[in-house]
Amino acid sequence: MNNRLRTRGLQEAASLIVMLLLIIFVMSQLTDVFFTARNLRNMMLEVSTVGIIAVFTTMLMISGGLDLSVAANLALAGVIIGRFQADWGILQAALAAVGVSTLIGALNGFLVTYVGINPLITTIGMLSAARGIALVVADGLTLPVFDLTGEATDAYTLFHQLGEGEIAGVPLPIVIMVVLLIIGMLVMQFTTYGRALYAIGGNADASRLAGLSVRRYRMIAYTLTGFSAGIAAVLLTARLYAADPKAAPSIELTVITAVVLGGVSLAGGKGTLFGTVLGVLILTTLLNGLRLQSTSTELQNIAQGLVLLLAVGLDQIRTRNINWLKWLRTTRALPAGQPASNGGN
Amino acid sequence: MTTSVREPRRTTPSSRWAWLRGDRLTTINLVLTFVIICAVFATQSQYFLTIENFLNVGRTLGVVGIVAIGMTLVLVTGGVDLSVGSVAALSGVVTSILWTKSGIPLGLAAVLGLLSGTLVGFLNGYLVAVVRINPLITTLASLSIIRGLAFVMSEGQTNQLNNDAFKFLGRGEIAGLPVSLIIMISLYVIFILVMSYTQFGRNLYAIGGSPDASRLAGISVTRHLLIVYTLCGTLAAFGGLIISSQLASSAPRAAVGLEFTVIAATVLGGTSLAGGKGTLIGTLVGVFILRVLDNGLTQTRISSFYQDVVGGLVLLLAVGFDQIRLKLTDKLGGGRK
Amino acid sequence: MTALLQMQNISKSFYGVKVLDDVSISLSAGEVLALLGENGAGKSTLIKILNGDYQKDGGSVLIDGQPTEITHPRDAEKLGIRMIYQELHYAPELSVAENLVLGHLPRKSGALKWMVDWPKMREMARDVLTLLNVDIDPAAKMGSLTVVEREIVEIVKAVSRQARIVVMDEPTAALTPPEVRQLFGIIENLRSRGVGIIYISHRLDEIKQIAQRVTVLRDGKHVNTLPISEASDENIVQMMVGRKIEDRLHVRALAKQTSFGETALSIRGLSKADAFEDITLDVRRGEIVGLFGLLGAGHVALTRSLFGVERPDSGQILVDGAPVKIISPQHAKRAGIGFVPLDRKVNGLVLGMSVRKNITLSNWDKLAPLGVFSQGKELANTRAWVERLGIRMAGGVEVETRFLSGGNQQKVVLARWLEAGVKVLLLNEPTWGVDVGARSDIYDQLEALAAEGLAILMVSSDIEEVLNVSHRILTIYKGRITGEYSQAEANQEILLQSAAGGAQ
Repeated sequence: MNNRLRTRGLQEAASLIVMLLLIIFVMSQLTDVFFTARNLRNMMLEVSTVGIIAVFTTMLMISGGLDLSVAANLALAGVIIGRFQADWGILQAALAAVGVSTLIGALNGFLVTYVGINPLITTIGMLSAARGIALVVADGLTLPVFDLTGEATDAYTLFHQLGEGEIAGVPLPIVIMVVLLIIGMLVMQFTTYGRALYAIGGNADASRLAGLSVRRYRMIAYTLTGFSAGIAAVLLTARLYAADPKAAPSIELTVITAVVLGGVSLAGGKGTLFGTVLGVLILTTLLNGLRLQSTSTELQNIAQGLVLLLAVGLDQIRTRNINWLKWLRTTRALPAGQPASNGGN
Repeated sequence: MTTSVREPRRTTPSSRWAWLRGDRLTTINLVLTFVIICAVFATQSQYFLTIENFLNVGRTLGVVGIVAIGMTLVLVTGGVDLSVGSVAALSGVVTSILWTKSGIPLGLAAVLGLLSGTLVGFLNGYLVAVVRINPLITTLASLSIIRGLAFVMSEGQTNQLNNDAFKFLGRGEIAGLPVSLIIMISLYVIFILVMSYTQFGRNLYAIGGSPDASRLAGISVTRHLLIVYTLCGTLAAFGGLIISSQLASSAPRAAVGLEFTVIAATVLGGTSLAGGKGTLIGTLVGVFILRVLDNGLTQTRISSFYQDVVGGLVLLLAVGFDQIRLKLTDKLGGGRK
Repeated sequence: MTALLQMQNISKSFYGVKVLDDVSISLSAGEVLALLGENGAGKSTLIKILNGDYQKDGGSVLIDGQPTEITHPRDAEKLGIRMIYQELHYAPELSVAENLVLGHLPRKSGALKWMVDWPKMREMARDVLTLLNVDIDPAAKMGSLTVVEREIVEIVKAVSRQARIVVMDEPTAALTPPEVRQLFGIIENLRSRGVGIIYISHRLDEIKQIAQRVTVLRDGKHVNTLPISEASDENIVQMMVGRKIEDRLHVRALAKQTSFGETALSIRGLSKADAFEDITLDVRRGEIVGLFGLLGAGHVALTRSLFGVERPDSGQILVDGAPVKIISPQHAKRAGIGFVPLDRKVNGLVLGMSVRKNITLSNWDKLAPLGVFSQGKELANTRAWVERLGIRMAGGVEVETRFLSGGNQQKVVLARWLEAGVKVLLLNEPTWGVDVGARSDIYDQLEALAAEGLAILMVSSDIEEVLNVSHRILTIYKGRITGEYSQAEANQEILLQSAAGGAQ
C-alpha cells in the first residue's frame, strides 16, 4: 500500500515536470527571445518574489492555514521603506519594513489561532487594512527609493546590492530564494517544526491531544509568512528603485495557484516544497512566455486561472479514476449496436 | 456531523438572559454597532444626518446589497464565490460591446450581459458541485479568468454606455427613491421569503449544515448548488449593470475587490463561512454598516484611503467580538464540548 | 410468503479488493434480522449497497420478490428503505420539525404551493413524536439537543415516513439502558406494523433480546444464518472470528494482584459545574482502576479535565504526591499523564501520517532535543513498540495509520504515550469499535503494562470490559462517585445498580 502511495507522489511530481518541460518547449518554439540569457534572468527574478512568499505560504497551508494578505503586506513594507528612508536611513527603514510585515503576519496568526476567526476572513480584513495603510502612508503615490540627497551612498549601495548583486553570476534575490527554499525543505523534512505543521494540518484535534502546542506552531507559520512578504518587499524595492502602494496586485492569487498546483491541499496536512517549486516555475514560465508573445497582458490572468482549474480538476478526476476507467472499459467492451444496459441482473 | 459522543450538554440554567443568545444577540449587536457608528458621524458632520445624505448612502447600497444576496446564499450552503467582482465587470463589458460594436439593441445587450453572469455562475456551480473542486479554488480561478476575459473583450478600453433608459437603472429615482435601492429592497423581500418559507431555501440551510443529512434525505445537493452559484453569478452581473449604468460606461477594471466588500458585509451580518447559518436581514444590516462607514468617512473628509483600513478593521472587530462572545457563552454555559 | 427483501449473491470490490463475495441475506416483514461480523467483514458495504450509496458489482436485490435496481439513495428512499447510521446526520441550525421532514417539507396548497406550510409541518412532527412516545420540542434547534436526543430524533425521522425496511447500525452505542428500552419499544412497535429491520450491533445480549434471526459475515463472505434460538454466544463469536478463541471476555484470569506501588495519580475534590462534583480518587503504580458509568455520567469530562482539555472549577490533581497545575494537554504531558481519547479517528490519530510519526508524536523532547529528529533512534523506538504491542500493518512503519484496523490504530495511540514515557494513562473506552480478537489482545497488553508499573485509569461504559480488566472499580453517577469495589466484590448487578444511582 505504501508503495502505491509513494508511486502516486512520484507520478504527481513527474506530471508536473512533464508539464513544465512542455511549457518551456512550446514557449521556446513560439519565440526566439525565450531562451536568451536576459529573459531567463528576468524570469528567475520574477520567480524569486513569488517563490520566497510561496515557500512560507506552502508551510502555512500545510498546517491548514491560508493568507490572502501577502500582496498588501508586501506593498505596505515597500512603501514604508520609501516613506521613511530619509528620516531613518535606508537600511533602518528596510529593517522596520520587515518588522512591520512580520508583525502583520503575527497579527493574522493571533486573530486566527487565539481569537478564532476564520483565516479567509482574517486575511481578507488584513488585506484591506494593509492596502489602505499603504495608500495612506504613500499618499497614493509611487515613492522613489534611491539616494536622493547623495549623503548616504554606502548604505544605498548596500541596499541596492540586495536586489542587483550577484553571486557567481546569479542574482542575489534568486540566491536568497534558493537558500530559503533549501532551509525550508530541511525544516519540513527533519525538524519537529516541520513535523508539527504536517500533524496539525492533518488533524489539529489529535495533535493538541498528543500534547502539541497547536496555537504556537500556527502562530509561527503565520508570522513567518508575513516575514517572507517583508523580505520579498525589500528585494523588490532594492531592484526597482521604487515602492508602489498598489504593488504586486493579487500576487496572493499567483502564490496560492502555484502552491496548490504543486500539490498542497487547502485542507492541510499534505504537500511538499518540491511540488511548490515546480508549481512556481510552471506558472512563471507560462506567464513570462505569454508576455513575450506580446499578447495582451490580461491573457495571463486567463492562463493562470485555467492552469489552476486544470491542475485541481485533473487531480479530482485522478482520485476518482478507478471507477471512471472501469466505466470506460465496460462501455467499450460492449459489442456495437447492443443497448447499453437493460436494467440489471 | 458530530460523530464523537460528547457529554450531553445540560440545559443551561434558565436565567433572565436566556433569550439573549445566538442569532438574536448577533442581530442586536449589529444594530447597536450601526447606531453607534451613525451617532459618531452625526457629531462629526452636520451634513451626515440629513435626508439628502441618506439618499446618497441609498444610491451606493444597491450594488453591494444585491451581490451580497447571492453571496449569502452561497455561504449558507458552505461555499464561497470570489469571482463576483470579475463577473460584475464582465457583464458591463459584454453589454457595452454588444451594443456599440455589434449594434444589438441596448435592452437585449443588457439581458445578454446579465446572462454572461448566469453562465459564469453555472460554470462555477458545475465545477464545485459536479467536478467537486473546492469552491475557494474554483472561484479564485474564475476570478482570474473572467477578469482577463473582460480585458480581452474590451481591449482594456472603457466603453461608453450613454443611454438615458440605461442610466435610469443606476441613477434614476422613483418617488424620490433611487431605482437601484428599490430594486435591491424588492430583491431582499423576495429572497428573504425564499430563504425562510420555501423548500428550496430551507434545503440550502440543510445542505450547509450537513450535506450528508441532506443527501440521505433525498435532497439533490448537486442541483441546489448549481442553482445557488448560478443565482450568485446572475446577481453579480446585475450589480455590474448597475455600476455601468451609474458610470454611464463599462470598464474592465470595474468592481475590483467587490468580492471582499461583499463577503465582509455578509459575514458581518452573521453568516458563517462554515455554512448552514446566516440570514439575509443580517446581511442587509452588514451592508448598511459598511456603506454608512464609507459615507461617514467621506463626510468627515478623511482620506479615502482610510476607508479600506476602516473596512478591514470593522470586519475583524465584528467577527472577532462574535468569536469571543461565543467562547464566553460556551464557558458560562458549561459542560459543552 | 415472499420475503420483504432478498439480496442475492451480492459482490463488490474496491480497488481490486473483494469486500463482498457472493453474499445473500433475506428479511421478512415484521422481522428483526441481526447482522453480525467483525469490522471489515462487509456489513456496512452491504447496507450501503442496499441504500444505493454503492453500486454492486454483481448479484441482485429483490423487494417483494421483484428485482429492483437501487442506484441512488433516492431510489432507496422511494422503496421505503431507511438508514440509521452510527454517525448522525442532521442540520444543526434547523428545527427538530424541519429535520424530521427534511427533503419532504410540506407545502401549502393553491397559489402559494411553493411556500412551506409551517403549521402543518409542526403538526406532522408532533404527531410522529407522540406516536413513538418521544418528548422533544419540535421547535427546538437540532444543534441545541443532547446527543441522545439527536439520535432519537434521527430514529424517529427514519421510521416516520412509510418505512418498510429499517437498517440500524449500532443504534445503542450512545444510549443508556432506559433509552435502550425505549428504542426496543419503538422497534417492537415497528415490527408489529410489518416493518422489516436489519439490526447491526456488537452487543450479543441486545441481539438476543430483539432479533429473530442472525446472519454472520466474515471477510466479505456469508458464514451462516441461524434462528436466534439456535445461536449461542460461543458459536456466534466463533463464526465471526473464524477460529475458536479462548473466551477471555468471560473468564479472564486477571493476575490476583494485592500489592501495588506508590500512589501515582491522586485527585482531591475535583469539581466542574454541570459535569462532575467532588471527585476524590487514587491510582497506584501497577493498578488498573476502572471508572464505570453510563453515558453522560461525567467520567468522560473527568478525564478531559485531568488531561487539561477542559478546566475544572476547583480541586487538586497530584502526580507522584506533588500537586500539578494542568491547564492544557501540554501541561498534562509534562506531568507524565497520557490520554487515549474516545474517538481515535477524530481525536487520536493523524490519519494521513505514518505509524512511525504517530507513535513518536508526543516524544519530541527526547527524540529531537534540538528540534532535529534523530532518525535512527526514532525508527528503532518505533519498531520496538510495534513489536512489543504486536501492531500489525501491511507495509511497515511508514504506512499511513488510516490503513490500519481499529484495534491496531488503538495500539498506535497507546504506543505514543508509552513512547512518551508517561506514568499515568487515562483510557477512554479503549475497545470501542475494536473487534473481538483484537480486544482481548489489548486487555493483555494493558495488564502487562500495569505489571511494569504504569498507573491506568480506564473509563468505560462496557460492563464486561470493566469487570475483566480492572483491579479496582469505581462507579460514577451524575458526576459523583457512587461506589468502590474490589475486583472480587464486583459483579454486573452491583455495578449497574450503583452506576444507575441505586443504593450503595
